Amino acid sequence: MLVKFRINGDPAEVNLKSGDRLLVDVLREDLRLTGTKHGCGIGACGTCTVIMDGYPIASCLQLAAMCDGADIRTVEGLAGTATLHPVQQAFVNKSALQCGICIPGHVMAACALLERNPAPTDAEIRASVDSVYCRCTGYVRILEAYKEAIMLARKAARK
Amino acid sequence: MSPRDPRLGTASLLVVGKDVPRTDAVPKVTGAAQYVADLHLPGMLHAAVLRSPHPHARIVSLDVSAAAALPGVKSVVTGADTARRKWGAFRPDLYPLAIEKVRYVGDEVAAVAAADPETARAAVDRILVQYEVLPAALSLDQALAPGAPLVHDDTPGNVAHQFGFERGNVDAGFKAADVVVEGTWESARQWHTALETIGCVAKWDGGRVTMWCNTQTPFLARGRYSIALGVPESQVRVIQTEVGGGFGGKSGDDNASVICALLARTSGRPVKLIHTREEEFLASHPRMPMRYWVRLGFRKDGRVVAKEIKMWADNGAYTGKSQAILGAASVRHDALYKYPCVRGNSTLVYTNLVPTGAFRGFGNPSADWAVEQAWDLAAGKLGIDVLDLLRMNAVDPGDVSPHNHKITSCELKQCMDKAAALIRWKEKRKDHKPGHRINGPARENDEPTRGLGIGCSVHVNGRRSFGDWDGSSAIVRVNEDGRATIITGEGEIGQGNLTVLRQIAAEELGLAYDQVDITRPDTDLHPHSLGALASRLTYVAGNAVKNAATVAARQLLEAASEQMKRPVEDLTILNGEIGPRNGAETDFKAVGAVVRAHIYRPGGQPIIGVGTFDNPSEFPDHNRYGNESGAYNFAAQAAEVEVDPATGEVKLLEIAAVVDCGTVINPATAEGQVQGAVMQGIGLAMIEYFDWWNGQPTDPQLKDYPIPGAATMPKLHVAFADSYEPSGPFGAKGLGEIGLDAVPAAIANAIADACGVRVYELPITSEKIHRALHPERYAQEKLAAPAAPKGGTWARIAAGKPSGARPFSPEFVFAASVDEAVRWLAAGDSALVAGGMSHALRRERTGYPQAKRLVSIMRIPELNEFSIDARGVLRAGAAVRQQKFSEEARVRKHWHAIEDAMEAVGHTRIRHMLTVGGSIGPLIGGFDLPLALLALGGRVTVAGPAGRRTVTLEEAFQKRFARDEMAVAIEVDMPPARTGSRFFKYMARGVLEIPTVNTAAAVSLNADGTCAAARVTVGAVSWKPVVIDMIELAGQRLSEGVLRKSVQCVGAAVEPMSDVRGSAAYKREMAVEFAARALISAWKRAQKQ
Repeated sequence: MLVKFRINGDPAEVNLKSGDRLLVDVLREDLRLTGTKHGCGIGACGTCTVIMDGYPIASCLQLAAMCDGADIRTVEGLAGTATLHPVQQAFVNKSALQCGICIPGHVMAACALLERNPAPTDAEIRASVDSVYCRCTGYVRILEAYKEAIMLARKAARK
Repeated sequence: MSPRDPRLGTASLLVVGKDVPRTDAVPKVTGAAQYVADLHLPGMLHAAVLRSPHPHARIVSLDVSAAAALPGVKSVVTGADTARRKWGAFRPDLYPLAIEKVRYVGDEVAAVAAADPETARAAVDRILVQYEVLPAALSLDQALAPGAPLVHDDTPGNVAHQFGFERGNVDAGFKAADVVVEGTWESARQWHTALETIGCVAKWDGGRVTMWCNTQTPFLARGRYSIALGVPESQVRVIQTEVGGGFGGKSGDDNASVICALLARTSGRPVKLIHTREEEFLASHPRMPMRYWVRLGFRKDGRVVAKEIKMWADNGAYTGKSQAILGAASVRHDALYKYPCVRGNSTLVYTNLVPTGAFRGFGNPSADWAVEQAWDLAAGKLGIDVLDLLRMNAVDPGDVSPHNHKITSCELKQCMDKAAALIRWKEKRKDHKPGHRINGPARENDEPTRGLGIGCSVHVNGRRSFGDWDGSSAIVRVNEDGRATIITGEGEIGQGNLTVLRQIAAEELGLAYDQVDITRPDTDLHPHSLGALASRLTYVAGNAVKNAATVAARQLLEAASEQMKRPVEDLTILNGEIGPRNGAETDFKAVGAVVRAHIYRPGGQPIIGVGTFDNPSEFPDHNRYGNESGAYNFAAQAAEVEVDPATGEVKLLEIAAVVDCGTVINPATAEGQVQGAVMQGIGLAMIEYFDWWNGQPTDPQLKDYPIPGAATMPKLHVAFADSYEPSGPFGAKGLGEIGLDAVPAAIANAIADACGVRVYELPITSEKIHRALHPERYAQEKLAAPAAPKGGTWARIAAGKPSGARPFSPEFVFAASVDEAVRWLAAGDSALVAGGMSHALRRERTGYPQAKRLVSIMRIPELNEFSIDARGVLRAGAAVRQQKFSEEARVRKHWHAIEDAMEAVGHTRIRHMLTVGGSIGPLIGGFDLPLALLALGGRVTVAGPAGRRTVTLEEAFQKRFARDEMAVAIEVDMPPARTGSRFFKYMARGVLEIPTVNTAAAVSLNADGTCAAARVTVGAVSWKPVVIDMIELAGQRLSEGVLRKSVQCVGAAVEPMSDVRGSAAYKREMAVEFAARALISAWKRAQKQ
């Protein structure tokens, strides 16, 4: 069956061999967008987080067939050719990463929050960071990266 | 102040000590970094592995014909196809694929390579194995019992390794002691849970194999894989991909890479093998649990006079690195305090359980769990504040441990002082009697109490154990553009060592940080090195790189000397230019120009420095005597906790971690190492454990084994001692592991301080503390005989179907109307899908449902309706995402319990993927939304072939839905005036998971403040949620006491089952407690309405 959706702004068509294929597999295998990671397969770890129609979703739980007509964004769609997205830049500035496998998930969760809520409370930030596991950092620097991203976005808006 | 490098002084360091940008940051934030699962080679096949469903069995027959015949399958291998060669780091006892016997649930039996992962998994399910099940040794006690089944026939008594030592006269020491403490502590299995699982891509080219691995230790892996595959070392090329977390779990002890290479050889195609999360839990090598008996003797004044340990460690079925871990756990701690004499005896025991292995800390967390608690006990007995006791006995620079560990730099006391200051130890302990506060049995309505604890640890910087070379070699090449390249086989697994090594080389070469590049490990191209283990990279690899840079810098200066006609000793390299010391700017020449002129001339030479560093240490003898490392790092960790006596819950308030790692080369990565290590220590202490049955975790997924999330983390203070290690690069030592070691002990000590309960067995659970505080409540407990888990993952694994592959490809349709969805359901071969959660969980846990058709309800217009009508009735269709409730202000205002439940769901991603239908349809009381709706008197509308009906949720739970019915919508009335409601989700591990118990209550008051109606619901403690209308409260004036008394009936109403989230007895206690809390809170809210 043919599924059509937008991926990082571009139209995509994927022919699904089976009705139960998951979005994470379609992204990684069919579209070769391997920035989205497969961590647990049960929606617990959040490393597969992408943004669909403005909301963060676990792409390991999302049937690809149900994405027909959706607008999907992955970590590959954030950066410009020469510049990083403010959220990505914030993670770099704060050294908010170690092994990096969870970072696309954290970056997408942060984008999803900040796009809907550019001035989140500390509790809202913490809940968003809590939605994606990280086995390396202890989350301290990731929490700082959210604040840095808010600051960078404000700076950019003033320009 | 500690001594400074007289040659340099801090002021002259330009790159070391600075927060330069991480080398790997940009590729990791853009998704460009290539992890092993991201690789794709032309013609590549995908592998799946058949694993043993039994802890111990003989393979009677093995038939792979049906698997091999499946279209798309290119190769099937079994033990018969291998070189039948055992391999292993220290004690070769592991076959790449089982020969004759399997020894744990997860042991590799056969493997398949096929065109796609689904076909490979389906083929594995078709392999027929006949087993003769053998008696198994499923614990230390079972393995050590006389006549125990032998895990390996050639190992009598299941003793894989044993050693003992006595250094000094321990009997005389204890005789002279005024105070003696002793105890036995048990540590626990802990899985690395790197969010990237173990994997490999292998490809043969004639007799050579290239293996792209996410290994921490490329050269050590190459050596072991060459044995397992039966090819010479130089014919195995290991290329390290980006590594998504290691922590010891990717140090080349697993069979995954070997099996991948075998399949690539037999199929003649490149093969990719990636562990599923389930396989990672079944067959990676978790932390080794130990039973650790320790006795300490002290003089009255607090000086330690003797120490003795006896220790038994659970090796699991195969040894890997466990032998070395045993050694570390036995002797390392003796380099922490000034023990005049020590005696020990340590035994490594085979069991029919998952093989254990290296995990950050390498035995030290188990030793610290025991010994650091014994010190805390001693402080209590001696009447000395534990901080003062530890400080009094701490080792100093120049000390030599009984095992000849030579302490060079050591700022242990500084670590203790800083940790104490950061957590305000003295201030908070002011009103404390020295020693421990013992509260005695807790009383009803006891307030939570706080306590402080401390633990210390010592760690190596590299460790001489893989042969008598703990070395690293590196090449530094300077290019004609003025940039330098570090060529090293030491890789990055996330710690930041690429960055640190670049800083070291830049500093030594006089180049800017961004002028230095570094390669990624490839055993064909790079000089020998041991990789990421034993906290060795900064110290050992850092020294090797520094030495190589020194040589390259010397060559540069000599070249410049020739070109500039000045003596070498007059010249210096500064920020990428070479010129005379104190010379004018115009006298300087760019490094690149010097290199270009040096190479591109007749007889030209490259600028290449080769550097090697071998740890100045000794290879320990059989009884672990010998200075393992050229330097040691130290840490002190202080914790403050709050214990709630009503639940046993431990709230981590603060942790202060202070590390002596010598010079801090990169503050951001150093802090990150400690922050992450502390988090893993918290996980080990309180969160990470499974239910077990017959030698396997019953549900090996991240659901039953959660790891700490951001919400788990306490206020964390990380600091470093002012320290300098003369043998380290620019004074640096390692710090990768030490931040973890003492965390569980520090927490346990703080708990003992807070409530008098001493926990001896990891993990620390709320239940253990509750039981210790209220033994009388458990006196009547009837212990049910443990029962086999029902269905789920366990049944699938036990049936020898590890993959859960679907037998066919279902079709997919969007239903346009409820009638269409109902028709599909009635056909009997379809399953409804909505947001995604329950659907995918089913797939992972039990294999794919037998549905031939997946029917989405998400495009049925009426199911997407959400409204609150004029009468105040809230209606939500089955396709409404729960996030909608969170975004609706009127929900927050009137239906408090629903708002609480939405908070308890966790976060936006889950709320957005959870639909009303998905949470109501299965009728599971442990779910959040249905329980809140039950308390509020919610109703559900269902549609079936006979039409629609609306029933109360309570009735729905009683009578269930028919198989061909679907939930269409829920509705709930506006609560009457003066009504409050409350929902609680109690997760005993303190992390987001299925609750131990959840409760909800609604209380309505009359105008005079008396109770009009009260209802309480309890879920997750019975097959059905319990709903109690508290009619006896009507007309009464309520109080906390009245409400608490009224919910005692909940205890009799629930029928809890024991599982990983608590025993039946504990869940019963918590059902009552949280029912009371829900009622009291609802009543208070009602008063405010």
